[in-house]
Amino acid sequence: MEKMSRVSTALGGGGGGAVSGRTMFCHLDAPANAISVCRDASQVVVAGRNIFKIYALEDDQFVEKLNLRVGRKPSLNFSCADVMWHQMEENLLATAATNGAVVTWNLGKPSRNKQDQLFTEHKRTVNKVCFHPSEVHMLLSGSQDGFMKCFDLRKKESVSTFSGQSESVRDVQFSMKEYFTFAASFENGNVQLWDIRRPDRYERMFTAHNGPVFCCDWHPDDRGWLATGGRDKMVKVWDMSTTRAKEIHCVQTIASVARVKWRPERKWHLATCSMMVDHNIYVWDVRRPFIPFATFEEHKDVTTGIAWRHQHDPYFLLSGSKDSTLYQHMFKDASRPVDKANPEGLCFGLFGDLAFAAKESLISSEANRKPYPGGDRRYPIFFFKKPDLTEQFAHVSSALSVFETGLESGRMDWFSRTARRYLLCGKPFAELCDHNAKVAKELNRPQVSTTWTMVRIMFSDPANPNLSAKLGTLPLMNSFSMKDMGACPDMGACPDMGACPAERGKEGRSDAAHLEPGTSHISNNDDNEETEGSDGQAEYMFGDAELDDDDLYSVEHDNPAEDQEYTLPQEAFPLRHEILDNPSAPEPLQQDKAESPHVSGGEAEATCLTPIESCSLISATQPLYSAHLPAGFFCPVVRDMLRYYAEQGDVQMAVSVLIVLGERIRKEIDDLTQEHWYTSYIDLLQRFELWNVSNEVIKLSTCGAISCLNQTSTTLHVNCSNCKRPMSNRGWVCDRCHQCASVCAVCHHVVKGLFVWCQGCSHGGHLEHMMHWLKSSPHCPAGCGHLCEYT
Amino acid sequence: MVSVINTVDTSHEDMIHDAQMDYYGTRLATCSSDRTVKIFDVRNGGQILVADLRGHEGPVWQVAWAHPMYGNILASCSYDRKVIVWKEENGSWDKMYEYTGHESSVNSVCWGPYDFGLILACGSSDGAISLLTFTGEQQWDVKKISNAHTIGCNAVSWAPAVVPGSLVDQPSGQKPNYVKRFVSGGCDNLVKLWKEEDGQWKEDQKLEAHSDWVRDVGWAPSIGLPTSTIASCSQDGRVFIWTCEDPTGNTWTPKLLHKFVDVVWHVSWSITGNILAVSGGDNKVTLWKESMDGQWACISDVSKGQGAVSSITDTQQSEQ
Repeated sequence: MEKMSRVSTALGGGGGGAVSGRTMFCHLDAPANAISVCRDASQVVVAGRNIFKIYALEDDQFVEKLNLRVGRKPSLNFSCADVMWHQMEENLLATAATNGAVVTWNLGKPSRNKQDQLFTEHKRTVNKVCFHPSEVHMLLSGSQDGFMKCFDLRKKESVSTFSGQSESVRDVQFSMKEYFTFAASFENGNVQLWDIRRPDRYERMFTAHNGPVFCCDWHPDDRGWLATGGRDKMVKVWDMSTTRAKEIHCVQTIASVARVKWRPERKWHLATCSMMVDHNIYVWDVRRPFIPFATFEEHKDVTTGIAWRHQHDPYFLLSGSKDSTLYQHMFKDASRPVDKANPEGLCFGLFGDLAFAAKESLISSEANRKPYPGGDRRYPIFFFKKPDLTEQFAHVSSALSVFETGLESGRMDWFSRTARRYLLCGKPFAELCDHNAKVAKELNRPQVSTTWTMVRIMFSDPANPNLSAKLGTLPLMNSFSMKDMGACPDMGACPDMGACPAERGKEGRSDAAHLEPGTSHISNNDDNEETEGSDGQAEYMFGDAELDDDDLYSVEHDNPAEDQEYTLPQEAFPLRHEILDNPSAPEPLQQDKAESPHVSGGEAEATCLTPIESCSLISATQPLYSAHLPAGFFCPVVRDMLRYYAEQGDVQMAVSVLIVLGERIRKEIDDLTQEHWYTSYIDLLQRFELWNVSNEVIKLSTCGAISCLNQTSTTLHVNCSNCKRPMSNRGWVCDRCHQCASVCAVCHHVVKGLFVWCQGCSHGGHLEHMMHWLKSSPHCPAGCGHLCEYT
Repeated sequence: MVSVINTVDTSHEDMIHDAQMDYYGTRLATCSSDRTVKIFDVRNGGQILVADLRGHEGPVWQVAWAHPMYGNILASCSYDRKVIVWKEENGSWDKMYEYTGHESSVNSVCWGPYDFGLILACGSSDGAISLLTFTGEQQWDVKKISNAHTIGCNAVSWAPAVVPGSLVDQPSGQKPNYVKRFVSGGCDNLVKLWKEEDGQWKEDQKLEAHSDWVRDVGWAPSIGLPTSTIASCSQDGRVFIWTCEDPTGNTWTPKLLHKFVDVVWHVSWSITGNILAVSGGDNKVTLWKESMDGQWACISDVSKGQGAVSSITDTQQSEQ
């Protein structure tokens, strides 16, 4: 025994003292199967198929102390599946050999070969050896052959054999609490409890896992808690102190659980590693079974053995791996998945609502609670005094709320309502604008409403608001400009209009400004006041507009013609008096238009009736108009306005105005932008499930790429009428028989226009011909004998 | 001004990491550390649990809804290194595809614009980004960008199909060939833009401004907007708005939205791309809007509903 103590002192100054060190590793000669630490945490033994060595744990490195594989031809007895260092007898080790031998080693032996006892009673690999925690000479083994054997190291043979009924034993562990009890885990998923004094029958058995139970570990504090890990990727904690084993915690890991070890000084923590796929070591808090408390990710291959360095130190973990390394992991260097985890979820909903999930505050819920309710006295007192913040890892949950943002600009209610109610076609231009302006006003969007009115004024022609008239807008503008030039030298109209988008911009900002303090409603007045304040020249123009708006909406339906008169002043052109002088000439026009909106002669006729337009009438050709005012006089303004709306996210407005204005504005905006607006708007409409509106927009769009959207969703499969095989190419010539496939079976001419064909025989022809033929004969006109049917 | 319209009792057993509304705003998918994904019908302020998807073996970090033209499809990614694509058929949700090609936790998933078909980008802690494309008949094509972000990728977000400038030189009337692009953020403090060229994914841009892990990135929907905009947020508390007015997409300029005191976890754009919601470590959400002069201003704050929270905590305590 003298030598024993000498060895231990030499190997690292036995007993006590604070453990120190850092995360470190060393390369082994071969993959490790198991590791075990001596009691004073100064040395570690690594055992594997081709390795059996002792390393000293120094502050910053592992130092190889002893190689136990000696002799020229090391016997299979050296090939270890498991190893355990005796926790009381410092020089005593036991290994489980893959050949079925149980070997003990005495480091105190003077010879190079330290082998002490050899028990060759098991017939197959021994998976596990375990020393009794307090009985020095008692050793337990569990083997693949289904037996567990108890050895008294003072005797040459096992003292008792326990039969697992032909099921392979994966792990055996002496209880910390019951002197005579040990637990054994089996490949069939069972766990058995045995009394060491009664080898005839187990005391208790229960099914712990689906599939093999690879490992089990008793809680170091004698609580009667047993943790088991299985191939089913679960770690379960059982309370064995009751009559029935009760599952109290269950942790699901990513891969099968090969080893499980309770963390010292932490009631709820345990470490696990896997034998497949996953190379990491996880430390779990069993109360929070979903996410590892900490992980060690250093190993490059499967971790085979884990051991806490000291039985009272929770900060050092040792591990051996198939990657032939031995690691010391420091807890402070562990990765904490929870710290990386996103504690919040945030999503903007379609309607401008906001879903927000957030973690409950840890601190507030923990503050009133003892660190460990029903705390165990056995914990060192300092642990209670200093609840380490980094060690706090209690159950966390989240609250999920859906918020209404309450911002007009953020909510999307208006969108679908507006989309549903807007009129984009089917009525004269001015009416469309008025209708849309009204819709916008009713939805409390004064800015949009005003824009619609403006658009109407800019482009409508009191003489000829007929949409179908190509240059219908021109006469009005012309008359304007002519009077304008004469009466108002400062070109009042143009700068004013040019200023509009900017003013809207201000309104936009005022929206935001108003919203912040809490007013969600913005009245038209506010905006106008704002504008007045900032733009002296324009002030009365907006004032007028407002008044007129009111009038406008009250009388609109009764007398559309009157509207038009009244709204003209809204433009605030200095020459509005002249327009007011306009006699009620538009009235007959309106009737005319209503009755026959497509009369092509209406344009000239109508303009005749308007005295003010007489000059235009005389020169009823385009070149003359453009000499006074180009067709796109307002177009740049409108273009900028549409851009502004689009940039504000109101692509609806941009597209609606685009459609309503049609040819008047289209050329001003490049095709790509238009297409972008259209696609954006259609996407939005579809998100809001406004299929009809979206379809209408597609139909009304003039972009090639957009209007073909509806076509591309319809596919027509055609067979060649000659060879009866499917037409593969797009044209009308069959690529197999090289004949035109669309020849009328009745008149033998190529069909241009409506083509009807029989789906049975692929013959067909002009719709009329086919109808006529099939009235008199049920047979196919091509003479193929097929009984075609036309319904 | 901001009011809770619905507090959803998710009955998740652990922290919720993501919540996503579907395309029509009718369903809400949540995912949690408790390994489950739950789907709630939230129409008319209701909250009906319609599905509880179990299949992950670790915390589920993020969920993403696919465009409904492909059916009801949800993707989820998890700590267990898996990406699962779930599909609803005849009212029941089943696994449609399981991708196990990452070597570490998968942190982010995002479906590409529907114009590209069913394509999913996944960012993982192993530093790689995977692009999974459904090719029909239960087949998925996998492309992997290895080492996209050293240490790990935290977030991915697709560019809208119609990025301004992406339509250049297309014959009109023909469906243009959009360029597939997305943005990613990672533990290397970088925001990176990726572009597909000849079927290969290439790094297009590398945006440097953050001084710590980038937690989330969001490419703004381009509803009529003339510029491309990306928001990024980071562990360093900063949120940047990146804009590119250059049609070739080469010049991106950052603008600091705000420097928060704590980690900023999420950025989320409104449907029209003009309001940005930002959520930070202080459990607060702020809404930001760009003013006319190009400055970003906070227009609202949202704190989580305290009432509901405390009651949940109480039940927990009694459970313990």
